Amino acid sequence: MEKVAILTRGLTKYYGRNRGVEDLDLRVERGEVFGFLGPNGAGKTTTIRLLLDLIRPTRGKAEVLGMDARVRGVEIRKRLGYLPGDLALYDNLTGEELLRYLAGLRGGADWGYVRYLAERLQCDLTLRIKSLSRGNKQKIGIVQAFMHRPELLIMDEPTNGLDPLMQHEFHRLVRETSEAGATFFISSHNLPEVERMCDRVGIIREGRLVAVDEVEALKRKALRRLEIHFASPVPPGDFAAIPGVKDLRVEDRTLTCSLTGSVDALIKAAARFEVLNVVSPEVGLEEIFMHYYREGSGGEGGGADA
Amino acid sequence: MSFAWWAVGIAALCLFLVAYYPTVSKTPALTQFMEEAPEWVKAFVGESAEDYTSPAGFLNGELFFMMAPMLFIIFTVSRGSAAVAGEEGKGTLDLLLANPIPRWRVVLEKAAAMAVSSICLGAVLWSALAAGAAAFGMDIGLGNLAAACLSCLLLGLFFGALALALGSLTGRRGQAVGIAAAFAVATFFLYSLSEVVRGLKPWSRLSPFYYYLAAEPLKRGLNGIHTLVLLASALALTALSAYLFERRDILV
Repeated sequence: MEKVAILTRGLTKYYGRNRGVEDLDLRVERGEVFGFLGPNGAGKTTTIRLLLDLIRPTRGKAEVLGMDARVRGVEIRKRLGYLPGDLALYDNLTGEELLRYLAGLRGGADWGYVRYLAERLQCDLTLRIKSLSRGNKQKIGIVQAFMHRPELLIMDEPTNGLDPLMQHEFHRLVRETSEAGATFFISSHNLPEVERMCDRVGIIREGRLVAVDEVEALKRKALRRLEIHFASPVPPGDFAAIPGVKDLRVEDRTLTCSLTGSVDALIKAAARFEVLNVVSPEVGLEEIFMHYYREGSGGEGGGADA
Repeated sequence: MSFAWWAVGIAALCLFLVAYYPTVSKTPALTQFMEEAPEWVKAFVGESAEDYTSPAGFLNGELFFMMAPMLFIIFTVSRGSAAVAGEEGKGTLDLLLANPIPRWRVVLEKAAAMAVSSICLGAVLWSALAAGAAAFGMDIGLGNLAAACLSCLLLGLFFGALALALGSLTGRRGQAVGIAAAFAVATFFLYSLSEVVRGLKPWSRLSPFYYYLAAEPLKRGLNGIHTLVLLASALALTALSAYLFERRDILV
């Protein structure tokens, strides 16, 4: 059995004069949960539709489960589950009718498993799809991607429209299915979600892969913003030299800075003074990308040469 | 569901027309009126203007010249354009094509579905006319009636396959419907005007309507060559659809 689930080499797609994705070199190993992280419009959906052979590359190559995506699409899709990003279903069918139709196109599915999936996601299959909310439609989309127990699941923003409780249920489902041997390629624009679900992450920005990293490493390197409130004014000099600290500002009794890597040194330096409060405002995704982008184009860090 | 409405509508139209026939056949003045009408009027009532009061002439003028082909073309163009471009516009094509089915097979199976529903509609047309003729004493050969219905449905399938091909090429249903409909109207006028405008005569063979009507299937039965031309071009357009659809990007 092939060791590599997805392999792309110089994969490029231009739309007219617009760039979709450019020179994408991706490698997803079998059995891993790979997160494909990027802001909207970065090229995540374009990449996924290239893997599915729904669109054709301007140049470069994509291999899925060891087969050329352009040549052996039918064989690939037999072993693949796919959740489209902009999910549209046949509105005048019920959930069950739709799933039976799709299962029929694949030569059947284990109906006990379908019911199990629907129950876990609390998804009522007896209702007409047009009467369902966005989140409930998304659940049917998820069930159809899982129902034939594919070896590889390619999912484009799977938690779109799901409430937080269902998002967590979905994360558990991904974890369990992955432990049973399946490979996942999941796109998202939500870093915390990717951190919870994935083993490795590829970051795409403006059509280019700017970094590929283990989630653990990403967490270590992730950009954080820190605000420390002291009981009395502190000298800025004590903090400026700490490794990983950037954009340091000390105003009166408040210190703000960005930080990558361990917070340990900073906390120890701060501990010499009386600390009233430590706040870590959430960092926007775009800032994280900018951070990676700078690193990527600077030649240090990052996984891919952008 | 929508097919049922089409069937009811077509059956009702046929029965209504046939029920009206006894009144027409007892009004020979109508024939005289048609004989005296200018050529261009006759062109738009159909080639059968002179014997408007005969069963075949009546059905040709009232139904098979314009009404029936128009209905069949609306039916097939709407199905042919929905098959690929319609699903593409709704966004369901991504889901469908993620299954282990080659694209060409999706096109061919959808074309087959369109053909089967059209054949059923043709059968409805034939049975309604046959039943009406029996009920109202209209003397028309059932074989010739079948020939006319078959020719009409083949004409419909030609334009349905054209809409399928346009949708497979562009992925846009509006364009597929618009171009196929415009082509139908243009070729209808080309054929009907060629009956009166001498300069157009050599060009009438370019019109699918020529192969539908010129051999007068309702009066003379099926013309093998004309039937074959319609059938072969519908099949060729279907094959072209599969070829075009294999080659392009699916629109988002």
